[in-house]
Amino acid sequence: MALIFVRTAVIFLALLAVMRLMGKSQIGEMQPFELVITLLIAELACIPMADTSVPLMYGVISIAAMFVLHQLVWLLNLWIKPLKTVICGRPSVVINRQGIDEYQLKKNNLEVSDLIESMRAAGYFNLDDVYYGLYEANGSFSALGKKEKGASLAVTLIDGGKVNEHNLEQSGLTRERLDGMLKERNTAAKKVLVMTLDGNGRIYLQRRGRPYEILHAEGTARW
Amino acid sequence: MVRSVILTAAVLAACAVFFVFVERYVGGEFGEFYGAVEELYEKTEAGSATQEDARAVRAMWEDKRSKLHVFIPHNDISYLDYRLNEAFACLYTGSYAAALANLEIVMQMAKTVPGNYVIKPENIF
Repeated sequence: MALIFVRTAVIFLALLAVMRLMGKSQIGEMQPFELVITLLIAELACIPMADTSVPLMYGVISIAAMFVLHQLVWLLNLWIKPLKTVICGRPSVVINRQGIDEYQLKKNNLEVSDLIESMRAAGYFNLDDVYYGLYEANGSFSALGKKEKGASLAVTLIDGGKVNEHNLEQSGLTRERLDGMLKERNTAAKKVLVMTLDGNGRIYLQRRGRPYEILHAEGTARW
Repeated sequence: MVRSVILTAAVLAACAVFFVFVERYVGGEFGEFYGAVEELYEKTEAGSATQEDARAVRAMWEDKRSKLHVFIPHNDISYLDYRLNEAFACLYTGSYAAALANLEIVMQMAKTVPGNYVIKPENIF
């Protein structure tokens, strides 16, 4: 019986470590250790229930082990603050006044498209609609929005150095014109972290390792 | 928070007490069973084992088995059951050599099965 308890604890710690390493893209609204418990507890309850060769007591002990581990992690989080960072992680500021923080995005295994998606879910349709945007330790997205938000949906023209030809065509821009605009700023598509264009011709351009810029494009499609 | 700490400590303590009880109980039950099988083995070796001796061991095992099912995976118990029944069948037909072979397996299992559920690195991983 004690063996089952210890084995459950080993699996718990292994899963918790993996969840922390995976970053916030794998977590949604739960602390990593809560997600680990959710993943394990269903299996632990199910196996002795379905497999008659396993005594039901094994399931009961495993669930008791999960309860004890949950309580221990919770108490350690309360008592030892640095440990909370190790177990639960810390919020990551992915958008600041300079624009997107690519390092923080990569650290959390996220891409610019994931960030844009999170922003849309939070009600922001342009990257410069917020002063700050951050992923909480539980993976949810929070933002400090600007008073005036863009009134048009922005489409991504360049994401992580790759040009989205479909969006480029929809926006009424040609590849030549896009390259020309980038050349004017002594840059190229592969050096751009993100470039979006909204229906009013407003361009959000952020080069890698540089603050973002707002540009205006004439003669683009309106939507 | 104090309530949570007390509750956690209480569950942990209850688990620890339960684990010690289970380890001792399972070890004790298998120890007694081992003793009975060993006695039967010696009698079989001497050619003096009777059907009554076998029935006594079977009755003892059946009593213990019903309780051990709570703590030991049923497959282990089934395998022990199988070997014991083989031994008894051989005894009833007078095949003492075959009975001895099966009893030897039963004795080894009675000795090793409790150890399979003790906290040891080889059992954990």
